[in-house]
Amino acid sequence: MSIFLASVGFGLITSAVLAIAAIGFTLQFGVTDVLNLAFAAVMTAGAYVAYWVNVSGFSVWIGLLVAMAACSLLSVLLNVVVYTPFQRRGSSPITLVIVSLGMALIIEFGIEAKVGGIDVSYTMGQGRTFRVGGLILTTVQLVIIGISLVVMAGVHVLLKYSRLGKAMRATAANRTLARNCGIRTSRVITLTWALTGAMCGLAGTVFAIDIGSFGPTSPDLFLVLILAAVFLGGPGHAYGAMLGALLIGIATEVSAAFIAPDYKYVVAFVALLAMLAIRPAGLLGARA
Amino acid sequence: MYYVLNLLVYGAVDAMACLGLSQQFGIAGVTNFGFIIFQAAGAYAAAILSLPPDSANGGFQSYLGGWSLPFPIPWIGAAVAGALLALPFTFLVGRRLRGDFAAVGLLVTAVLVNLLVTDYRPFLNGDAGLAIVPSPLQGELNPGSTGYQWAYAAVVIALAGGVYWFVRRITESPYGRTLRAMRDNDRVADSLGKNLLSLRTAMLVTGGAIAGLSGGVLVGFINTWSPAAWTYAETIVLFAAVIIGGAGNHRGAVLGAVLVPLAFEEGSRFIPNSQNLPPNLIPSLQWVAIGLLIVAFLWFRPQGVLPERKRVIAMPGKAAASASTPAAVPGRAPPSAGQGVGVSVGQGDGVSAGQGAGVSVGQGDGVSAGQGARAHGAVLQAVDLSRDFGGVHAVSGVSLAVRPGTLTGLIGPNGAGKSTLLALLAGTDRPSAGKILYQGNDITGLPAYRRARIGLIRTFQLASEFKRLTVMENLLTAAPGHRGDSLRGAVAGRRYWRGDEAAMITRAEAILRRFGLTDLANSYAGDLSGGQRRLVEIMRALMTEPAVLLLDEPMAGVYPELARRIGTALTGLCREGMTILMVEHELAIMDEFCDPVVVMAEGSVLAQGTMAELRERTEVVEAYLVG
Repeated sequence: MSIFLASVGFGLITSAVLAIAAIGFTLQFGVTDVLNLAFAAVMTAGAYVAYWVNVSGFSVWIGLLVAMAACSLLSVLLNVVVYTPFQRRGSSPITLVIVSLGMALIIEFGIEAKVGGIDVSYTMGQGRTFRVGGLILTTVQLVIIGISLVVMAGVHVLLKYSRLGKAMRATAANRTLARNCGIRTSRVITLTWALTGAMCGLAGTVFAIDIGSFGPTSPDLFLVLILAAVFLGGPGHAYGAMLGALLIGIATEVSAAFIAPDYKYVVAFVALLAMLAIRPAGLLGARA
Repeated sequence: MYYVLNLLVYGAVDAMACLGLSQQFGIAGVTNFGFIIFQAAGAYAAAILSLPPDSANGGFQSYLGGWSLPFPIPWIGAAVAGALLALPFTFLVGRRLRGDFAAVGLLVTAVLVNLLVTDYRPFLNGDAGLAIVPSPLQGELNPGSTGYQWAYAAVVIALAGGVYWFVRRITESPYGRTLRAMRDNDRVADSLGKNLLSLRTAMLVTGGAIAGLSGGVLVGFINTWSPAAWTYAETIVLFAAVIIGGAGNHRGAVLGAVLVPLAFEEGSRFIPNSQNLPPNLIPSLQWVAIGLLIVAFLWFRPQGVLPERKRVIAMPGKAAASASTPAAVPGRAPPSAGQGVGVSVGQGDGVSAGQGAGVSVGQGDGVSAGQGARAHGAVLQAVDLSRDFGGVHAVSGVSLAVRPGTLTGLIGPNGAGKSTLLALLAGTDRPSAGKILYQGNDITGLPAYRRARIGLIRTFQLASEFKRLTVMENLLTAAPGHRGDSLRGAVAGRRYWRGDEAAMITRAEAILRRFGLTDLANSYAGDLSGGQRRLVEIMRALMTEPAVLLLDEPMAGVYPELARRIGTALTGLCREGMTILMVEHELAIMDEFCDPVVVMAEGSVLAQGTMAELRERTEVVEAYLVG
């Protein structure tokens, strides 16, 4: 029973990290039409930016903010310099996926070329340990869950109530029509990259905090979890990504506790393939 | 010397793999991001087929099988393993899933399979991988000798040559043409009667077999195989090779194999290994270089170093046609004039019905004349057909009967549900409720390609030509029952299908002449003007010898003269017995060519009759002209 609860605790943290990344990824895809496989590579970049800030003597939480800014900028650049020119030329979606894979290699191994293959970790305290009804969580873990909840609430408010959010939804539904309705879609798309890029940097840093030590290729497998969460909820669907992240995070950690730690990704993988096979639109994907 | 041998074997193995990938990705448009696991499957299969049981060597490695089977069984097993591994993935490449989603599925599969094999030791010795895999015939010959290694290289190069011959035979056949059509536009290929699932499955299986063979051959030479040799990123190297060499050109794939994987893996040996460099720097920069190469080539030269070759098809009938009576042809220069080579231009500008009449039957400016005599009853019937998108009732409760031999018009304001209705009838979309009858049979559940095969063909509102096929190839792709249009027929070779091919070319030529596009037969369809592309689409539909033709705004964006020429040709076809249902906005066209005309508004049929009758009815005039 306590193993189960402990694994649910781990699952909640994984879900929290995953939710930030999955929402970012799914918004990126939904609004900009780019299935950005370089997402995990940008996360890595964020984790390292936070690390460099951290080793210069600042708190990792400051590093986190810098990482968000850096990844936001990197994502905007990625779009302006690479993806948008390809889209403007009328490249097929599959060409863009291949391009994004190429960009993933460039970013990820560019980092590795700079930092080498050795894992690093942040200098930070874990804070007090709390026991909440059998769950054991540190302050840092609670903060991560808190950040994730704030992101989810923020995205909800953004999409539901703000002008930008509505413009994003309109652009996602039909870019041409949105432009004809007077929405400046290119600006909406740039803002989307900036926003999702910041989420990507946030996710990269809290991911690195959560796993303790990380290297340039650590988030590779995390991309599998992101994709699983995104496709479970329905690609392009923000609430679907939240649900997907919760399910995948808990399922992987519980299965890690009860089957074997090495196979925790199998659950995500099976979920992803099953969704692709049976319901590519996702659990919540009836809407566009 | 040893080094040169190594290069030859690696080069040939990479060439094989790239040919398999080029067949899948460059020809058939199946983006298999998991390609490397098929090579891995072949290597492991060859290894466990040739190794003794895992207890034999003191049990330092553990694996399944271990059958000590003699050469060439391990190599055959490698190809079979690669082919069999493809089968579970067929669900990813069916009609429903977007190509990029399927690619992501395959990528994730590759990552996960590698992880599982790495972590689960009893299966294939996990992370350490399999070592001391026997070389072929190592009992009889000495694998360490130079002679053996040269022979090995020669055999592998010969095998690569065989693979080249095989993929070329497929690609240059009518079946290969169908694959390229599917690559250019799968939805349209589907609507022309091509079974996408079976085409893509065939490509996954043959590509898998080739990849498997390449793995088996490789493991026989290097005698070891571990998960580090087939990480998902290796697939990207192969993709880089195919993209750089030229996707869609098998010679390009071979060139790419020499340029990329070989230079990537072997070239780095020539970089001086200075002590000052961090250990991971060179490999990391290699990956960065691969990424840069992919992106740069896709931007600056997407067709690769060796672009896809244009397949020019000689037309035996062309000279004869232009020499004989041009009056039998609605002969006009194609809209992009200045090309008026073969076909007579001297027809003047009048587009009277008389010109179209040359097509077949006698004169007559209206269509109604011959129609009374035709059989009644419907060839195509919609019964209470509905289609909802979320809360929107695009089509609601439409009942419609299309009489044989008519050119039925379908008009209505934007959003009336015309295109949706057409999609439902053709099977490219599924109704929420209702029934569709074709020649008296219920075809509601039949997929689009099966409907196409029984003579119910549609065209699309948006341009839907196969861009990287010539006009002639566009037409030939649609030809039904071609002997060469199956994997079996393709492998059987040109001699088996050339008779059919010649017959189809003759038919295509006749159609080209009818629409005055003979001179553009060997131009890429993607290079034509908008109007010409509409013509290609109609001609392509005619190649299927449809009984019922569903046209979605065939004259949209076509200049008026050409539009009337199309109309004339269509009425001619109806006189020959074809039934046509046509969505059109231009009332003048409806006036001149269509009878009866069906008016739709807000998802329902509002009225039907001749245009003259419809003009009398105020609700129609209001819906169409005001609404």
